[in-house]
Amino acid sequence: MALENLNLDIKKGATGLLGPNGAGKSTFLKTILGLIQATSGEGTVLGHDIRTEGAAIRARIGYMPEYDALNPDMDAINQVRYSGELLGMNPIIALQRAHASLQYVGLGEQRYREIKSFSTGMKQATKLACAIIHDPELIIADEPSNGLDSTAREFMIDTLINTVKQGDRSVLMASHLMDDVERVCDDIVLLHKGKLAAQGRIEDLKAIDREIEIHVWGGASKLEAAMIQRGMRVRREGRVMRIAHESEELTSEILLCASQVGAQIRRMHEYEASLEDLFLVIMENLGYDVKSSEDLFSHPIHARKVDAPGHMGGGAS
Amino acid sequence: MSEGEGIEPQPLPSPQPVAITPQPLPQPQPMAIAPQLPIPLSPQQMQHVATEDIQMATAETPVTGQARMDTAWGSSEGDEDISEMASIGQTDSGEIFKQNYEPWRGELNPRWMRNWAILRHHILGIFKKGHRPWGIPTRIFLVLVFFASLSDAALTLLSSLIGDAEFHSFWGVNRDNLYGHVLGFFPRNVMYYPIVAALLVGGVISEDRLHGTSALYFSRPINRFDYVGMKYASVAFIQAIIIIFTLFLYYLTEIMAFGRGWAWIVDTFPIFLGALMGGVLLIITYTSIGLALSSVSKGKFFPGIGLLAIILGTKTLAIIVKNLFDREILYLLSPYDCLAHVGQTLVKTQPTYDQYSWTWSLASLIVMNAIALYVLSSRVSSMEVTRE
Repeated sequence: MALENLNLDIKKGATGLLGPNGAGKSTFLKTILGLIQATSGEGTVLGHDIRTEGAAIRARIGYMPEYDALNPDMDAINQVRYSGELLGMNPIIALQRAHASLQYVGLGEQRYREIKSFSTGMKQATKLACAIIHDPELIIADEPSNGLDSTAREFMIDTLINTVKQGDRSVLMASHLMDDVERVCDDIVLLHKGKLAAQGRIEDLKAIDREIEIHVWGGASKLEAAMIQRGMRVRREGRVMRIAHESEELTSEILLCASQVGAQIRRMHEYEASLEDLFLVIMENLGYDVKSSEDLFSHPIHARKVDAPGHMGGGAS
Repeated sequence: MSEGEGIEPQPLPSPQPVAITPQPLPQPQPMAIAPQLPIPLSPQQMQHVATEDIQMATAETPVTGQARMDTAWGSSEGDEDISEMASIGQTDSGEIFKQNYEPWRGELNPRWMRNWAILRHHILGIFKKGHRPWGIPTRIFLVLVFFASLSDAALTLLSSLIGDAEFHSFWGVNRDNLYGHVLGFFPRNVMYYPIVAALLVGGVISEDRLHGTSALYFSRPINRFDYVGMKYASVAFIQAIIIIFTLFLYYLTEIMAFGRGWAWIVDTFPIFLGALMGGVLLIITYTSIGLALSSVSKGKFFPGIGLLAIILGTKTLAIIVKNLFDREILYLLSPYDCLAHVGQTLVKTQPTYDQYSWTWSLASLIVMNAIALYVLSSRVSSMEVTRE
């Protein structure tokens, strides 16, 4: 997937990289690692030109790949040490750092075990140890919590959070798990068809999806019809409805509609969108009919529109 | 006592100042409107019941009082003991672990140090743990071949101890024996060197594809040329220990055991150099073909068997064609035959390929190596970092 007209400025801290399959995430990661030559445009990572200084960039970045990248016949300590030597570390220093890194990722007691005896979570932790052995300024974590059980996932997320907060390092995290991205990251970059679909602070982007949630008893369908007739944007799941918060009088208008059709509103509150909701809203705006991010990630989709709307950073009107 | 309840009217007490303390208004409490269940349930059980009801209830579900309340508010009153629930998540597992991020302010060494790390990783893996894990059968075979390659040196030493000239002429250093040490067909180029090359090249690149460890290299400041160059050098170096180093030991044994002087050394050194160059050509050719095969596969079996098939299969084919049709032309397809032909020229021993010039064999070797290196470079260029 080629990247096109991608203009990004990723700040220090934790940033989530989102996008469906084929959105260009891998291409983006390879580009900032300096492994793909950009045919046009320019970019810098940590002050180094991505076109000419790939090696210098990779020396200052820790990359944690999504897929297996460990030799199963090596023990963890030597695998991590070797990954440090490949960066140019002295073997003795690399060994010392390997001990520290494995201790940090919670494998201090298992460091002399062969990697083939490790669980998925332990392998992920070993990959993270390989990535942080030289204390990089930026850690690129590609699906760090993929395939982990809840305990290992919690630990991985906590470790990344700790790396950002205690270690003062930056993390660029590509993940399909919205909850994890939301917990670790303050900002997100959403790619779609090689273009930027959305970028910004998660809190700010969530404001796109402000809604009032009501729980209705009796006459829900009538109420829905009445609200739609009054021009409100309504999403309904059984008796729970969410109405786009587009005007200050929305609450009054909802109550008015309810009184007209004789429906009872049992609960009404401002609905705080999750990152998953935000993702779906953006994708809906791009022209996709999806029910969940899982649908989007697991099945190839056919675009009706390619560009994101202008207010989200894309080229479409 | 309220007013009007007394039997006889009593004089009212004198009014006393009353201290009125403003009391805070009671906090609004959620209305307890959940129906009473016949059997008292624990909060967890009640939550479970409520969840089930919510999942079952739809807009078309018949309305009952309980379903209505459950659907709208849940069946509990919200009086669960939160501290009890919180304590479940805070169970101390007894593990002592404090996660501290330790910064590092060291300097990374330049390119040569990274390349040295790759070379060292592969070569030291033959001898000790903690580096590239070569298989035990590979290590054992390498040791056996190393000592088997020293058989001529051992017999030279034996001939010096016996003092038998005929025995020495059979095993000592001369053109034929120097050629035979490196390029002799049986046993060295049937049982020793091709199998050593097959065992070494088998997994060197293909296992990086298999395990995804190529990402470990390419996400570091290592370029493709350094990656493949160091892998090539390490495999060639191990073969050189077995072929070139034992040739050197053989030559040294003759000098030491028979007390050869400078005149003999000057006389035989060009032959030794010719054999050494033949050995270098052999190592380069076997390594190039083997690594090319390794780069197109994801396991060690195919490259190993493929290399043996190319070396021994083409040799066998050339022999069959020569015997049937008395034509040697097909030896140009055999890496071993081409090496042997060039090697005979270098050592200036009796040529066994006399129908064609040795330059044909040299050209064929160059073409074979060029094709192998092209395949190797193109496949390594396509190796992925994000997915393999």
